[in-house]
Amino acid sequence: MRFEAQVMPHLPAAYRFARWLARVPADAEDLVQESLLRAYGAFDGLRGGDVRSWLLTIVRNCHATQHRQSARRATQPLPDEEDAVTAAALIDPTPDPESASMARDAERRLERLLSALSQEHREVLALRELEELSYREIASVTTLPIGTVMSRLARARSALKSLWLEEAQGELSGVR
Amino acid sequence: MACAESLKVQAYFDGELDALGAVATETHLKECAHCRALLADLETLRAAIRSELTPQLPESLRARVSAALDASERGTPAAPVTRLVPGRARRPFWLGAAGGLAAGALAAALVLFTLLPSPDSVLLDEVLGAHVRSLMPQHLIDVESTDQHTVKPWFAGHADVSPLVADFAAQGYRLVGGRADYLEHQRAAVVVYQHGAHVINVFSWASPHGGLTRESTRSGYRMMFWTRGDLQYCAVSDTAWEELTRLVRLLQEKSAAEPAG
Repeated sequence: MRFEAQVMPHLPAAYRFARWLARVPADAEDLVQESLLRAYGAFDGLRGGDVRSWLLTIVRNCHATQHRQSARRATQPLPDEEDAVTAAALIDPTPDPESASMARDAERRLERLLSALSQEHREVLALRELEELSYREIASVTTLPIGTVMSRLARARSALKSLWLEEAQGELSGVR
Repeated sequence: MACAESLKVQAYFDGELDALGAVATETHLKECAHCRALLADLETLRAAIRSELTPQLPESLRARVSAALDASERGTPAAPVTRLVPGRARRPFWLGAAGGLAAGALAAALVLFTLLPSPDSVLLDEVLGAHVRSLMPQHLIDVESTDQHTVKPWFAGHADVSPLVADFAAQGYRLVGGRADYLEHQRAAVVVYQHGAHVINVFSWASPHGGLTRESTRSGYRMMFWTRGDLQYCAVSDTAWEELTRLVRLLQEKSAAEPAG
């Protein structure tokens, strides 16, 4: 089956991107499932082009739809691009003393850093650093001008670097 | 205090600059400590993201998605089934009309014809690949010099041929350096010219297939082949034809004035 052969190999990419967008594993899994169903429905209309970028665009659109729906229910705003660092301070850096597993530590760090980054920053970072899309491809997935992709990517990288440094300082100052 | 070049350094790091931009940024990096630090940060951050912030697909999700797709397919069983029928009807009528063996032989011949690439086509791909690779950061130039007397001797130890090297800066084609490459199992010499914003690679090698003279366009790149003595030359660039032709003519005039080879 053509869909199986051409789209399913990009499932790991779809999940990585979904995870960076939705932040929480359960939400990411729902997002991937919905995206793949939508992709399946739209597949016959796909003519040429890069299947992976196409799928990632669908993941992003599905997330935008879900996000709009949940935004109507919750009033808590997402951190601003400039507020990302301040937002990090709001997140409890104290690790759960029960957990000894490094995998769970890594999992929590991923969640902490992702929740401290803005949605705009997460998507360009994921598309560039994890999916290795070119600026042009990122522009096409996000429908942003290339210049905005470049400047946003620069801000996203410096935001993530600050968060990481803060995290490292938190660890050094001896939480446990 | 951010340097004005920092976005360019980022684009360089992301492999988004063309050859000239990359060379300019490498030059800037030598002079700007701020940008060197930025580049190091970008590298550290990428490595950290890839090693620590890359989520792994849960195996259960693959099964779950497959099940959901199967279910949705059962919900609309018409779609995949009906798609097969017009596909079969679209089979060319003459394939049925010509009948068994003959049609089979014809089809086999057609397949062979389309599957076997001509030697030319392989070479075009090789040259295009070499050109595009050369435009990636730090691949353009092995010996950086605008002096033909520096570039030409360098080839002696690095390529199987000694090509014509000349600077046509006055005519708008500046010699920027040379590089060794590999074409048709030969060590090729590449002379690199800069024309406006474009890079022109002039490949030369001892082609085992004899002289090739033609023009070709692939993926937006123009290639012009010619021979001189027993050397095969090929100029490749994304410039307009007239601009590429002009350099080729300059090279041919120059080599006509010198002994061949």
